[in-house]
Amino acid sequence: MTVPTAPSLYQPTSLDDAVERLAVAGPDAAPIAGATWIMRSPSRGEPFHREYVSLARIEELRRIDDDGATLTIGAAVTHARLAQALAGHPALEALRQAAATSANPSVRRQATVGGNLCARDFAAADLAPALLSLSARVVLAGPAGITTTPLSGFLAGRDNLPPGTVLAHVSVPLAPVVSAHARLTLRRAGDYPVAIVSVAATLDDAGVVESATVAVGSVEPVARLWPELAAAMTGRPLDADEAVRTARELAGAFTPRTSVEADGWYRLQVLPTVVGRAVRALESHGRDRT
Amino acid sequence: MFVNGEPRRVHADPMTPLSGVLREELHLRGTKAACGEGFCGSCTVFVDDDAVASCLVPVGLAEGRSVRTVESLADPAGALSPLQQAMKDNDAVQCGMCFPGMLMSLTALLETNPSPERRDVHEALVGNICRCTGYERIVDAALTAARAAGAAVEEDAS
Ligand SMILES: Cc1cc2nc3c(=O)[nH]c(=O)nc-3n(C[C@@H](O)[C@@H](O)[C@H](O)COP(=O)(O)OP(=O)(O)OC[C@H]3O[C@@H](n4cnc5c(N)ncnc54)[C@H](O)[C@@H]3O)c2cc1C
Ligand code: FES
Ligand code: FES
Repeated sequence: MTVPTAPSLYQPTSLDDAVERLAVAGPDAAPIAGATWIMRSPSRGEPFHREYVSLARIEELRRIDDDGATLTIGAAVTHARLAQALAGHPALEALRQAAATSANPSVRRQATVGGNLCARDFAAADLAPALLSLSARVVLAGPAGITTTPLSGFLAGRDNLPPGTVLAHVSVPLAPVVSAHARLTLRRAGDYPVAIVSVAATLDDAGVVESATVAVGSVEPVARLWPELAAAMTGRPLDADEAVRTARELAGAFTPRTSVEADGWYRLQVLPTVVGRAVRALESHGRDRT
Repeated sequence: MFVNGEPRRVHADPMTPLSGVLREELHLRGTKAACGEGFCGSCTVFVDDDAVASCLVPVGLAEGRSVRTVESLADPAGALSPLQQAMKDNDAVQCGMCFPGMLMSLTALLETNPSPERRDVHEALVGNICRCTGYERIVDAALTAARAAGAAVEEDAS
């Protein structure tokens, strides 16, 4: 009989060390950040990896930097810290809302940005659609060096990254947008959202949408953009009721997932309502701005 | 790691939940572990300055850090903390399963926001599930404790 050995934990203080260790260990090892997803592996029926490489003590991954044009968020920044830091950035309200309302207060003090974007098979991640709507890019560190890629491509391909790849930072352009995040949960606080919608838009002086980005989470297995709805919203004033009607017409573009919390048809049914909430919040942010 | 101010060495494997180490190895049974999944809040403790769900903290990640459990709230002579006393005075405790976690989450709230509104208390307790009380007495007790502390500060200042 083989006795499974308990997983080990390596705690480097530099990103290079973490990448190297992960690259050498290959598929036996994985990064660990806030651990709120990994610690529940047994309850999902997933075995632990043989080794975890902690990102928690790598100082550069815990920073949030603002150079006036871009906000660079370290992957090991927690939801709670991110929400606090974004209080001074009204344009990034979608991201602040996502970071401040996901899960519950203690999970938010532990769970990280990188963990939210890298947890495989986690469809209900709140930060993913929020960051998609804000056109975020991710900076990846790997054995071959640093690469930067749009978040949308990263999310679609994250299951096939070479061992040793660590999401190091997320960079969010500081554009003059208004943005909002809306989510629908069932039953009780702490449940995963059934559908999530994040919207960002630039408005002209008359309140007409010059450009819009809409992202949807939790409906399909991976969060994604909804370019057809964004195009329909462009060139006219913000109008939540109209957005709900259009969303209803266009919702056929999604192949919804079914899980224990909700059936696919239900997610599609509520999606237009969640769109309406997000656009209504945008209308009020737009009014505050003027 | 430092537990309630004292250096402690533990032998558990690094991915063992901190809640289990506190209870089984260090015999600090105040911390409960009702769900083991981050949902119920009964295992809430402070790691450094953050109140977190200790069932989701691998003990290895707490290495070298300071951990505060519910046992640290009363003073060593056994006098209850003002928050604990307010819970008792308001008759807020029933079975008590949720209470250690409630106390730690509320301690976290009062450390960052000494004069919370009712809705701040509700928001702070989103991750603390109580099957017995319906919450309102707990919220009343927390607000009483906050007001008493505020009054004490004003008295000191005058
Ligand atoms: C009670 C509860 C409620 C929740 N509710 C919500 C909710 O409403 N919304 C929501 O979005 N989430 C929710 N979550 C899920 C929450 O666990 C994740 O969102 C969290 O962000 C994961 O981050 P972590 O740092 O804890 O990840 P970890 O558990 O440390 O890691 C998760 C995965 O990502 C990988 N990883 C971590 N960091 C990196 C990196 N920098 N580079 C490469 N790979 C990495 C790990 O290898 C692992 O596979 C909830 C969790 C709990 C316990
Ligand atoms: S036991 Fe940790 S949150 Fe329930
Ligand atoms: S008093 Fe029994 S669960 Fe709260």
